[in-house]
Amino acid sequence: MEVAFKLNDEDRVVECAPHESLRTVLRREGMMSVRYGSDTGETGAAAVLVDRRLVSADVILAAQVGGHAVMTVEALNTGPDLHLIQSAFAATGAMQSGYSTPAMILGALALIERNPDPGEAEIRDMLTGILDRETAYVKPVEAIRRAAAVMRGEHPEPFGPLIVPPLTDGTHPAVLDPDDPPPAGPPSVPRLVPSKDVPDMAVVGKPEVKVDAVKLAKGNPAFTDDIEMRGMLHAKVLYSPHAHARIVGIDDSDAVALEGVHAVLHYKNTARIKYASGGQSYPNPHPHDQVSFDDKVRYVGDRVAAVAAETVEIAEEALSRIRVTYEVLPAVYDERETLLPGAPVVHDEPDTSHIHDRERNIVHHIAARRGDVEAALAGADHVYEQTFRVHQVQQCPIEPHISIAWLDSDERLVVRTATQVPFHTRRMLAPLVEREIKDIRVMKPRIGGGFGAKQEMLIEDIVGHLAIATRRPVRYELTREEEFVSSRTRHPQTITYRTGVSADGTLVAQDMRVIGNTGAYGTHGYTVQTITGLRGLTSYNAPHKRFTCDVVYTNIPVPGAYRGYGAPQGEYALEAHMEDIALDLGMDPIEFRRKNWVKVGDEMDIAPHLGERAVAEEELEEYPKVMSNGIEECVAQGARAIGWHRRNDPAWREPADRPHIRRGLGFAFCMHGTAIPFLDMGGCSIKINDDGTFNVLIGATDLGTGADTVLGQIAAEVLGVPLEDIRIYSSDTDVTPFDTGAYASSTTFISGTAVKLAADEVADRIKDRAAKMLDVDDPTSIDLGKRMAWAKDGSSVSLQDVALHSLHLEDQEQIMGTASYVSPESPPPFAAQFVELEVDVETGQVTVTKLVMAVDCGVAINPITASGQVEGGMLQALGYGHCEEMVLDDEGRTVNPRFGPYWIYRSDDTPETEVYLVQTMEDSGPFGAKAVAEIPKDGVAPAMRNAILNATGVAINDIPFTPERVWHALNG
Amino acid sequence: MEIVRPTTLDDALAARDALPGADLLAGGTDLMVEVNFHHREPEHVIALRRVSEIAGWEGRRIGAGVTWTRMEKGPLRALAQLSRTVGSPQIRNAGTIGGNIGTASPAGDGLPYLAALDAEIEVASAGRGVRRLRWDEFLVGVKQTALRPDEIIIAAILPEVMPVAEEFAKVGVRNAMVISTVSACVMRMPDSTWRIALGSVAPTVIRARRAEELLGTTAAPRGSLLAEVADAVAAEVRPITDHRATEAYRRHASGVLVRRLVGRCAA
Repeated sequence: MEVAFKLNDEDRVVECAPHESLRTVLRREGMMSVRYGSDTGETGAAAVLVDRRLVSADVILAAQVGGHAVMTVEALNTGPDLHLIQSAFAATGAMQSGYSTPAMILGALALIERNPDPGEAEIRDMLTGILDRETAYVKPVEAIRRAAAVMRGEHPEPFGPLIVPPLTDGTHPAVLDPDDPPPAGPPSVPRLVPSKDVPDMAVVGKPEVKVDAVKLAKGNPAFTDDIEMRGMLHAKVLYSPHAHARIVGIDDSDAVALEGVHAVLHYKNTARIKYASGGQSYPNPHPHDQVSFDDKVRYVGDRVAAVAAETVEIAEEALSRIRVTYEVLPAVYDERETLLPGAPVVHDEPDTSHIHDRERNIVHHIAARRGDVEAALAGADHVYEQTFRVHQVQQCPIEPHISIAWLDSDERLVVRTATQVPFHTRRMLAPLVEREIKDIRVMKPRIGGGFGAKQEMLIEDIVGHLAIATRRPVRYELTREEEFVSSRTRHPQTITYRTGVSADGTLVAQDMRVIGNTGAYGTHGYTVQTITGLRGLTSYNAPHKRFTCDVVYTNIPVPGAYRGYGAPQGEYALEAHMEDIALDLGMDPIEFRRKNWVKVGDEMDIAPHLGERAVAEEELEEYPKVMSNGIEECVAQGARAIGWHRRNDPAWREPADRPHIRRGLGFAFCMHGTAIPFLDMGGCSIKINDDGTFNVLIGATDLGTGADTVLGQIAAEVLGVPLEDIRIYSSDTDVTPFDTGAYASSTTFISGTAVKLAADEVADRIKDRAAKMLDVDDPTSIDLGKRMAWAKDGSSVSLQDVALHSLHLEDQEQIMGTASYVSPESPPPFAAQFVELEVDVETGQVTVTKLVMAVDCGVAINPITASGQVEGGMLQALGYGHCEEMVLDDEGRTVNPRFGPYWIYRSDDTPETEVYLVQTMEDSGPFGAKAVAEIPKDGVAPAMRNAILNATGVAINDIPFTPERVWHALNG
Repeated sequence: MEIVRPTTLDDALAARDALPGADLLAGGTDLMVEVNFHHREPEHVIALRRVSEIAGWEGRRIGAGVTWTRMEKGPLRALAQLSRTVGSPQIRNAGTIGGNIGTASPAGDGLPYLAALDAEIEVASAGRGVRRLRWDEFLVGVKQTALRPDEIIIAAILPEVMPVAEEFAKVGVRNAMVISTVSACVMRMPDSTWRIALGSVAPTVIRARRAEELLGTTAAPRGSLLAEVADAVAAEVRPITDHRATEAYRRHASGVLVRRLVGRCAA
């Protein structure tokens, strides 16, 4: 049918099928800013304006807009400049991945048209239908506020951090005066507490605008799905309806016969090659328990077959014509039940090796210890034992997994894919598609969030197989439901602590037992649980410690990497356990922790004994040490910001005018790692251009975090140029150097050091030439700055002249540098997490009213993007503690694979957040940096739990804190 | 699938008469989800957005095509409150009261309001003209209505006597939940009688008649009467256990919610 409407002020008549959504039609018309987030209108990634009102283009028929005016963000892109709203989003760091930014900008435009001075509540209400998994809405709200102000003709102050003087000397606790208020400023502005050890720099530490801001604000084609390929086919995958079954037979004849179907793949026609899908370094941790298509399914949502067809509809029709005969087997979901005698054996296939105890579903048995835990516990004045259960949640990137594969003119397999690990993917894909690594190219364009779900070779083998089979480009994008069920999730665990404490509150021993549920496959199963042990036993670093863990198979959707890895699980249990011990001992919960937390100079002695590269020796001569720790300052700033003194004030805790409300404050101590030592490696190469600017090629994969910007700042600082003179490109296995990828909080530290080293090399060569040009003997006396090379006598030559000289005039050469970095250290960032909340004691409903995190991430290279990481991480962590939960029915089906019934936080119920960046100088990091990406995931759930305890006197050990769970707990 | 886009009620009714199995599309927010998921592959769809006769709201008559966005800004307090809890601005800009009535979900956001008011649903067909059914004659089961295949919902008709106080609220996991575990609408009428309706706690929206009787004409109920009302509501609702909440919790929360709303409506 034909539909005539106005699109961005131009009359259009489009041909479309009656059932097609407006989103489908707009993308076909080239409006790539209208993006897929769901089929239900719930994410808002596809929101557009129809007659200047925000409408979800995925739940409106194209036919319905006949005669109406449709506007997408492309309407604002009339020239090189940004619209004022787009500029405000760029200036405030309101875009991380930017996937849903076009929708937010349109919503803001319509809102400001209706009300030139919208209040925060109105802005938040407008944003409720545009889910953001990245920013916690803090900076988008600020962007819209500022845009409205500018459009009213006002001139707001430039956006940047609020400098807050330190409250401590860095080592001793502060004594806070309750009458001394925290610094005032909007919540979107990071509070930066400077350290005297950190020098002032030109670009590093500055609130630079993200290098990808323009393309994201304009909604330019930048993501995997934003290219169009001639002759492209669409893949769909048949997923298992059974939690556990053998495939006895598969008849694809009706599917193959369907017109428009080009390939149908399943276990009968695909080579059986074993692999582990987790995107990790070579050699991938065992077990290698997957194949592209198996004759057994192990969870509802497991792969059965894949189809490539001319259209998505034909591919779906083909799936319905595949006849599969299953022999249904009993299934098991709980990590404790799978260990019981008689439980079904999830992996009984003989060709998977390295399963610790196949019959009992134990994939790995992990054991690490220091000292003699049993003896120490026996001699302790107090021994506390406590068991916690943490549940299954999903990463929920708004951009689901998507890959497009094709054969290029050299018949090499090219895969353009939403991945955090392009280089691992290339290496892991090669054997599955039976090609050499040299014949595969993996490209990572802009990514719409990953959070670990994309640290996985999840679907690249499917498009690879299909592209090779059909010799056509093949695209496969997960639906939201598939993203929930058939991608990856967080490992559920049962965690038991036994802790021995002496009478004065000193920890003498800590014994941690974990059963980790790795679901149907072992991907990341080993390493996630080792991080649980590492983080669970290092924060307080008892002299005697032991970690014992069974990683077990069940028939739940597959857990994998999820921001924080195993740390949120371990630190939840630990910080709840420590709170209860403190209260039992009659000690202040922070004072008790302070007595025991790791301090500068302490050896992190269990670290080398856990992980992918755990050392074989029982005892090492040397252990890694904590070299920087800003926790005292973090605690002081955070406590002042949250009003910690109120936790013992009955008038505040029990507001007289609201008899059913109890208020509480909670704290958690957080410690994380920065990259995997001796393993994570990143490369960088830099070259100078004719105009004295630089191309920086990196393998590091910015998935929305701002890595490209931070790495660019590091290069700019070294080379003495503004950030705009750095052109970053990442990542493409044909073009850029290797990088392990975006995970383990490694990019700023590992890839950043590689950039710094490569830039140092370039700087040296610039100085050599500048010295000649300036007739200076000692090139090391030359300084770079302000796009110039300066001699000590004040004479100078511009980098452009150096470039032209080197490329064209004399002793011609390409000034370039290449470096890579692997670290022997993993310097821990530290943080103090505070939560303020209210409990409705009649309904059990908990309302979190404020989150404060004060974090020591060394030197924040970019305080805006760093605070954005903390804001977004805290809100994800709040969802983990409060309301997110994958629910399976008795048959193993996920009953809530949608954002309606799976509750991630929206803009209108997000608590106030404040972020303090407490500087320390970490000498092992580039310009003093440590990691910040994952630590915000660690403390919210336990601090929330401890705040509920403070409010009500009730300690709850299992998460999430749904009204019903809290209500039951309150009623005994 | 074929789409008919009438611009007048007569044309819409004629289309409905000619295509009795056709799906009706108002805002599209419910139907499109089903189409996208292939739960429904309608042959014919009649899109009602352009039918001007059902788009208006005059006094007691709320046209079926009136959107949540309009009701949110309208003069009826509880209706505005509940409209604000619907989905998101995108959904509220598209979704309509008529669609909500037609979908007849037990969790339908607008339905407790209509039930509490004893509102009528006005429907029309080409052959039989207009008829009005009281809300409980119209909403007969989970997603089941008395709408005949040739009929279209025209309007919700509110009574002449309107409450002196009205409140709506939901209980969910968080304070601004899209899908609630319980929703309730409470009204105090000029004759001091009470109206209590609840959503999500039975196959259809229900009235808590026993609790209404207990309240009688007490204008400012207190103490033990409020507790009795809460208990009566908890006993009257017929909730199920699902992943959002257990039956026991829903009963409890229903009682608490109604007790609080009664308190807010009290003289």
